[in-house]
Amino acid sequence: MGPLIPQGIITGDWDFVIALLLGIAFGFILEASGFSSSRNITGAFYGYNFVVLRVFFTAVLVAMIGLLYFDYMGWIAMDMLYILPTYLTPMILGSIIMGFGFVLGGFCPGTSYTAIAIGKIDAMVFTGGLFLGIFMFSETFPFFSDFYYSENMGNITISEMLGVSNEVFTFILVVVGLAAFWGTWIIEKRVRKNINPYKFD
Amino acid sequence: MNKNYIYLTLLMLILSGGLFFLPDRDNTKYSNPEDLMWSIVQPTRFVSTDAIAKMIIENDPTLELIDVRAADEYGGFSLQNALNMPLDSIVSDNYQEYLGIDGMNTVFFSNDDIKADQAWVIAKRLGFDNVYVMKGGLNCWMSTIIKPLEPEETASSEAFELYSFRKGASIYFTGNNIESSSESKKTTLNITRKKKQSVAEGGC
Repeated sequence: MGPLIPQGIITGDWDFVIALLLGIAFGFILEASGFSSSRNITGAFYGYNFVVLRVFFTAVLVAMIGLLYFDYMGWIAMDMLYILPTYLTPMILGSIIMGFGFVLGGFCPGTSYTAIAIGKIDAMVFTGGLFLGIFMFSETFPFFSDFYYSENMGNITISEMLGVSNEVFTFILVVVGLAAFWGTWIIEKRVRKNINPYKFD
Repeated sequence: MNKNYIYLTLLMLILSGGLFFLPDRDNTKYSNPEDLMWSIVQPTRFVSTDAIAKMIIENDPTLELIDVRAADEYGGFSLQNALNMPLDSIVSDNYQEYLGIDGMNTVFFSNDDIKADQAWVIAKRLGFDNVYVMKGGLNCWMSTIIKPLEPEETASSEAFELYSFRKGASIYFTGNNIESSSESKKTTLNITRKKKQSVAEGGC
């Protein structure tokens, strides 16, 4: 039956209603996971708090496994889902810039809004910078649009690129994810022995 | 360490490992045979050549014309802006992306309407909506739009209106100048032409 809009079960006019509901749910989960604190977020870079990695990895794994089962049951047509096109080098560069912003500012775009929602002043400054960045990016875009659209690999998934089935790739990622969960717990324990200013649980 | 994490770890492993042991299952969506039968017996899939001509002249952006004849026939003559999708290639993925585009009305045509009708059934079976057939195909296009026959003097005023539209469309598509209309008046006096008129009426 799904995806609902491409299958014509509901009209595209529902786009914004669904986006609003998903946005509220996303913001709620971010806040509930403690992502409105930049200390929690940047902890992943310093090794004392890997909650970011665990929450996002959990979301990815649950969504992957869920989609495959839903596809199997015929509840969602995987081939109708939109896959963002991959521009390899520009995306790697973009991720590095994003990572720098992440560790310097202490937020990613989504979490800065959840932090604003609970009244954090640093997040307000962060979003100010974010809009400034968007403005500068848009104004200077013509200078690097060629690079921006270079190395287009099309709407490709990792399993297609590696030539393995979705099931195999999901299983590998689950094993890697679970290993990361347990591994980061061990790292956290060791690092936290040496620092004392904050309790995180 | 919370015991729940151990349970969750095991659950994730079982769920992801379980994907390998799922028996085969075909989720391909075909249209229900009964629905298909009802849509086949209904004439609503047919679009007249006049309607198509009007849409082409008005540059209707929702019109997608698909020529289902072989590539060489398509190369010889086809309608303005028509895509070529030979009947045997409709099921291939390369062509399917042209079907079922949101907001587009796909109209199949061939020399007559048999091949186009077959293409329509295939497209319908593949689950595409908004697919239609040009009634009478290109033969009908020639006899109604390109070389329309003047109605008899006793014909209704609607028939004359239709004729003048067809005449105008003929000029639009062939680039004939207005003098040709007087030429065609002469030819309508020909008895053999009148025979053709009855054939054209029955043919499409």
